[in-house]
Amino acid sequence: MTLLSVEDLHTHFISRDLDNQIRVARALNGVSFTLEAGRILGLVGETGAGKSLTATSLMGLLRPPARVVGGRALFEGQDLLAMPEAQVNALRGRDISLVVQSPKSSLDPLTRIGDQLIRIHRAHRKVSEAAARDRAVEMLASLGIPDPARRMAAWPYELSGGMAQRVLIALALMNAPRLLIADEPTTGLDVTVQAQILDLLRDLVRRTGIGAMIITHDLGVVAHYCDEMAVMYAGAIVESGPVREVFGQPSHPYTANLIGATPERLRLGGPRTVGGPPPNLFRLPEGCAYRDRCPQAGPDCAQTPPDVALGAGHIARCHRVAA
Amino acid sequence: MSGLLARRIALVVPLLAVILLFTFLLVRLSGSDPVGLLAGPTATTEEIALVRASLALDQPIWVQFGVYFGKVLQGDLGQSWLSNRPVLAEILDRAPATIELMFWGVLIGAGLGIPAGLRAAFRPDGSFDQVTRFLSLLGFSVPTYWLGLIMLFVFFYLLGWAPPGMGRIDLFLTPPDRITGSYLIDGLLAADWEAAGSAFSQLVLPVLCVAIISAAPIIKQTRAIALEVLASDYIRYARAQGLPHGQIRAMALRNSATPVVTFIGTEITGLVGTTSLIEYVFAWGGLGQYGLSAIIAGDFAVVQGYVLVLALFSVLVFLAVDVFVMLTEPRAGAAP
Repeated sequence: MTLLSVEDLHTHFISRDLDNQIRVARALNGVSFTLEAGRILGLVGETGAGKSLTATSLMGLLRPPARVVGGRALFEGQDLLAMPEAQVNALRGRDISLVVQSPKSSLDPLTRIGDQLIRIHRAHRKVSEAAARDRAVEMLASLGIPDPARRMAAWPYELSGGMAQRVLIALALMNAPRLLIADEPTTGLDVTVQAQILDLLRDLVRRTGIGAMIITHDLGVVAHYCDEMAVMYAGAIVESGPVREVFGQPSHPYTANLIGATPERLRLGGPRTVGGPPPNLFRLPEGCAYRDRCPQAGPDCAQTPPDVALGAGHIARCHRVAA
Repeated sequence: MSGLLARRIALVVPLLAVILLFTFLLVRLSGSDPVGLLAGPTATTEEIALVRASLALDQPIWVQFGVYFGKVLQGDLGQSWLSNRPVLAEILDRAPATIELMFWGVLIGAGLGIPAGLRAAFRPDGSFDQVTRFLSLLGFSVPTYWLGLIMLFVFFYLLGWAPPGMGRIDLFLTPPDRITGSYLIDGLLAADWEAAGSAFSQLVLPVLCVAIISAAPIIKQTRAIALEVLASDYIRYARAQGLPHGQIRAMALRNSATPVVTFIGTEITGLVGTTSLIEYVFAWGGLGQYGLSAIIAGDFAVVQGYVLVLALFSVLVFLAVDVFVMLTEPRAGAAP
């Protein structure tokens, strides 16, 4: 069974403006992707494309005014969006875990890290305090934290950024989840620590066979660590497929521009791509949302673009792509 | 841990020295010369000089400060020229009345304000939040003395539920023997039910006034602090970890405690002025009323002593707040 299958997910921000008119920001416009166990999916896109919102939507963590207005998120065949809140809450932190990008501020400042690990374990599993403690020490050790038994007594403020991120990963893994969502897990860490954390995540997936989704805007991370990738633009996935296929033959103009805009490519002196602001989510253009920025846009782009299958699971949503 | 705590407590000493300097200068800079007053209208120049020398007022100002400092350390705050009694004795007589009033007032104000603020924060813009927001705005805008007068007008004059605001106990009752100085507690300790009952009924209205005035900002501040904590990364992450709601609330409470207690600490020191007015309205006979009368009468030794006591009170309140923070905040370095 597919571990995670998101189908046509729509999330809107619904608010009232000063004239009491209802304003709708269409933040997610039909996001669909699948993730199999034992695979790593990289979700890339510019800021505001809806990467994190996809994660919070499917985990049921949206707060007003954001609201899922359509679609399904099947986790092992069960629709997370149709489940009662209590049932989703039981899954969160146990079967589906999240690692966020601000580890230091995401740890409870008034609880020692060992107690936080024990707390999350005992919130989901009926185990004794001593057993939970043993597992917590083991978990810290497996994440390469030196002297884990002593580290259990550390306060969050005493940790470095890299150390805090490891603790956060330990928290996420305490209950042996089957799906791990890492939302920009290495933002704000220096490069060597970034590599260590990502190596850790990859080894974990290879060893335990869980599925992982890494949200990032770093194409280098996707190229090095992911099996599949999905490129997001204005709340929709414009291109997806195996990493090798997408990098080898970037078919959507946005993907091509994104890859062309990495520092390495820019240094090669290739043609400069056209920049521009992301579209206004309150007034998305008809048809392809990228057409205002797209160098290849034509009149037909005002029509909704088709998903074109390019073989080997490689799909691009564009009028310009020939199958 | 104990090192940090000891250092914080030791900090009180230089703080007190500076406060003494200021209370000393307060009177020096007022430009009044007590010598003529003390020597009397018929005194000769020699007599005036004698009095001046006996008070060390012919010495340089730093010597005078030294003399004042020494006297304060010995518990001599001077004499009131209105009553001719030592200021310290008068302050000690009146302090329990004020402490009693503030203690119950703040206890009830915080006891109502903190839960109300938290409940409002858990459901922002809900009906409870809207009602408490309106009430706390009302509590903010009502003038203290007016609240006291209206209370008396309604509960004494119109309804007859409360005794007249004339002191801390019925005029025809003898106060119980002094143990703590609180008539209510002393009455209970002495099993003098009549005195305790009367002291209680006298306490109700002024305590209610202090409670209302102190609860308004506590509600508002607690709500703001709790809202900020609830929107923090660690609470959001706790939700993402699927922690039960009870545990998330407990986490929010613990993380709100330090700022709320700090706020109440600063509020208490500011509440001294409010309490003075309430004491005046209810003829409470506490420190606030005493200090206010002394200021109006120009009784400088009393004003000096009163300011000193208020400063000492603030120092102690802030010390208590700091010790609380040190014991609960791991970042303060003294948590167990």
